[in-house]
Amino acid sequence: MNINDEDDIAVVFRKTLGHYTVRARGRELDCVLSSLIHKQLIFPTADPTSLRRTVREVREIDHVDPVAIGDRVRYVEAGDGRGMIVEVLPRHTKLSRPAPVPGQRVFEQVIVSNADLVLPVFSLANPTPRWGLLDRYLVSAEAADLPSLIVINKLDLAWKNPGFDEEIEIYRRVGYPVLLVSAITGEGVEELKRALQGRQSVLVGKSGVGKTSLLNAIQPGLGLRVKAVGAGEIGKGRHTTTHLEMFALDFGGALVDTPGMREFGLWDVAGEDLAYLFPEMADHVGQCKFGLSCRHDQEPGCAIRKAVMAGTISPYRYQSYMRLREEL
Amino acid sequence: MRPRLASFGDFRCAHCHALVSSAHLLSGVNNRNHCPYCLWSCHLDLFAAGDRLSACKAPMKPIGLTMKKSRNKYQRERGGELMLVHECVECRTLSINRIAADDDSETVMAVFTESFALGQQVRSRCQGQGIAILDADQAEAVRAQLYGHILERGLLIGV
Repeated sequence: MNINDEDDIAVVFRKTLGHYTVRARGRELDCVLSSLIHKQLIFPTADPTSLRRTVREVREIDHVDPVAIGDRVRYVEAGDGRGMIVEVLPRHTKLSRPAPVPGQRVFEQVIVSNADLVLPVFSLANPTPRWGLLDRYLVSAEAADLPSLIVINKLDLAWKNPGFDEEIEIYRRVGYPVLLVSAITGEGVEELKRALQGRQSVLVGKSGVGKTSLLNAIQPGLGLRVKAVGAGEIGKGRHTTTHLEMFALDFGGALVDTPGMREFGLWDVAGEDLAYLFPEMADHVGQCKFGLSCRHDQEPGCAIRKAVMAGTISPYRYQSYMRLREEL
Repeated sequence: MRPRLASFGDFRCAHCHALVSSAHLLSGVNNRNHCPYCLWSCHLDLFAAGDRLSACKAPMKPIGLTMKKSRNKYQRERGGELMLVHECVECRTLSINRIAADDDSETVMAVFTESFALGQQVRSRCQGQGIAILDADQAEAVRAQLYGHILERGLLIGV
């Protein structure tokens, strides 16, 4: 079989441990990975035109999983509805985080590739929003050069969080679009559908905020499994969605549902670049006597700190910046 | 309303460079916000004590003492809780802070006596924020709060 044929390109839309479901020409195939994908073959560079290239070294690829949802892949079909992924095609975007695996080495976990829009989902109550986590999602999306649309779910529980307007206004002032929705009452769902139309989007958020409920509200035919959040004052969500999956939307586009993520570290972000990933801070970088080496912490005359004190940058966003800076 | 951050931990005083422990066991307070040796602080809080939201971060000088009316009936009997008044050296923000258990009492007394020379401008700014700087005529009350009533009764050996 000729694996260079364009016909052998598919899109990964579901994965569970070791198994990848790809969609190609309207068909679904259950695929496994070729062992070659886990490795990078290093050839001698002295004579790259040689027809008899010998492998000099085999390197393990620094990924938890080399294939992500949304990847365009080449595959070899086995003929019984199964296949093997033999190549991952270059990604035009990827949303990553450091893999939460024990051990000294840190690996990249690509949550979704080739997405056009990130939807950080938070709920007004049950669980209460962690705005610091939202800042992490937004910074990760900025680092991946992806636009974000903040979705605040459970609008029907607004009475439990009377101060939410002020918090949301912080993000609107920065320039992020914010959509208030309720998967229960359907409020805001039509607007959300318009935003998703024709794009490949990804839902991110912690457990219990209603990502899957939103997906069910957007496209009722999906009938995905949802659970009520745990009882109690904190109202922590329970992990219901346990795998990543991309759903084709009837009105055009696709949406990736992700399991709840309480931890979300930054991948491939250097400390000195962090301020550029806060859009309201980017214009102030390099504007003080410390130039680009300013850490925006205790440097006298720092333009970012001045802007915070003048009220043009939210002190909460600045605090998020400082907390993320400490991690890098 | 966002939850407050946990304490930032031990730190080195930006003014006297002493290493300061934030252990509750030593200070008796939840948010260690000044050095127990020189009593200088850092402008870290913005809306409420412990929120650590201020971007100013300049040193805060202890400029005097005040009494804070307390709901605690024992404190009420003593006329309130003795508090330190700090002023930011850059943005001139005023704040009042609890005296910690391990604050140097002699330094607190020194701040108190130096505050007699405070200018009218600072005093009126304090008044504008409802902070009444203690005067020389309240020295006995200050001593009683810092050292207890043992000194007054002359019961302490060597006094």
